[in-house]
Amino acid sequence: MFFLSQIEHTLMLPPHLLSLPLDEAIKEQLDSIFLDKVIDKLGLCVSVYDIRSISGGFILPGDGASTYTAKIRLVLFRPFVGEIITARLKESTVDGLRLSLGFFDDIYVPVPLLFSPNRSEPDPGHTNRVDWIWNYMDEDYHVHGEDEIRFKVHDVRYPPIPLEPKDVKPFAPMVVTGSLDMDGLGPTSWWG
Amino acid sequence: MKIIETSAGALTNFELLDLLRSRGAGKDASRAIATVSQSEFKVFDYLEGTVACNQTREIIDNFVAECQKFDLTKAEILNIVNIRPRNEPELFPLVEECEQRMEDKTEELVETITRILPPHPSQADEANEEAAEGEEETEPEQAEGEEEQ
Repeated sequence: MFFLSQIEHTLMLPPHLLSLPLDEAIKEQLDSIFLDKVIDKLGLCVSVYDIRSISGGFILPGDGASTYTAKIRLVLFRPFVGEIITARLKESTVDGLRLSLGFFDDIYVPVPLLFSPNRSEPDPGHTNRVDWIWNYMDEDYHVHGEDEIRFKVHDVRYPPIPLEPKDVKPFAPMVVTGSLDMDGLGPTSWWG
Repeated sequence: MKIIETSAGALTNFELLDLLRSRGAGKDASRAIATVSQSEFKVFDYLEGTVACNQTREIIDNFVAECQKFDLTKAEILNIVNIRPRNEPELFPLVEECEQRMEDKTEELVETITRILPPHPSQADEANEEAAEGEEETEPEQAEGEEEQ
């Protein structure tokens, strides 16, 4: 789920950080640049692991602050295909389930990848919500809102940034598609 | 930004939790003064809810050593350490081609997992309650068995 990656980045150190020791200032600037952001092909940056080297410190003509080049290692959230992850249910609609990890919410399980055979029942309390029920050996198993749901990663995509703002849904730079179509997957309460 | 190495190593959930804890993340009121940011705290909360919250380095080293005889790939061991399957159906999606490769060793693997890796604290309480109920139920069964004899 979490990987270390080494990258090299050139950054400008804003003057309000000049009073701190250099490595602390660079770390703070790197935190503001990378934390909680998705890097294409690498995943969601969770934390700066360490700073391997800092070089530079020159002031380029026309700038008001010095530029440093730092080699750092980042901790990235990058699930691999075939990994099993435990998540919570965020919403359940006619298109399938949407799961959340707290720090990452764009996990979708579309209807073709749900457990089968299944059926859905519209939830009386809320309009768009639908309850998904698994029918196994003539017994009905419900997906409750509070359960922890285990899913298998089917695919991880990084859609390109749209040039024009599309519809109401905010743009998701990283989308994980999961599947629940196997023994042992689904709410943990089903499997004792 | 230039990528030097895309994958410099995989981390188990425990290793990341250990890293965040060493930076000062905690569940109590020390949140405001720790040098851990809000988004890192969300990851910390998620990890504390998984079985990684009870693991230690020795436990994981011990488990990896014991897994040598099962011929599992690194990714599968990582998955098992992160998820801690409690029985065979839970183990099934974690190991590819489980039946062919493991044959009858799945029971042994599940037993190794439940013995070495600690459960999540909330699960341990449920297991104790079930064990207590199980003991009460077996007693009347034994009484019936004696009557039949």
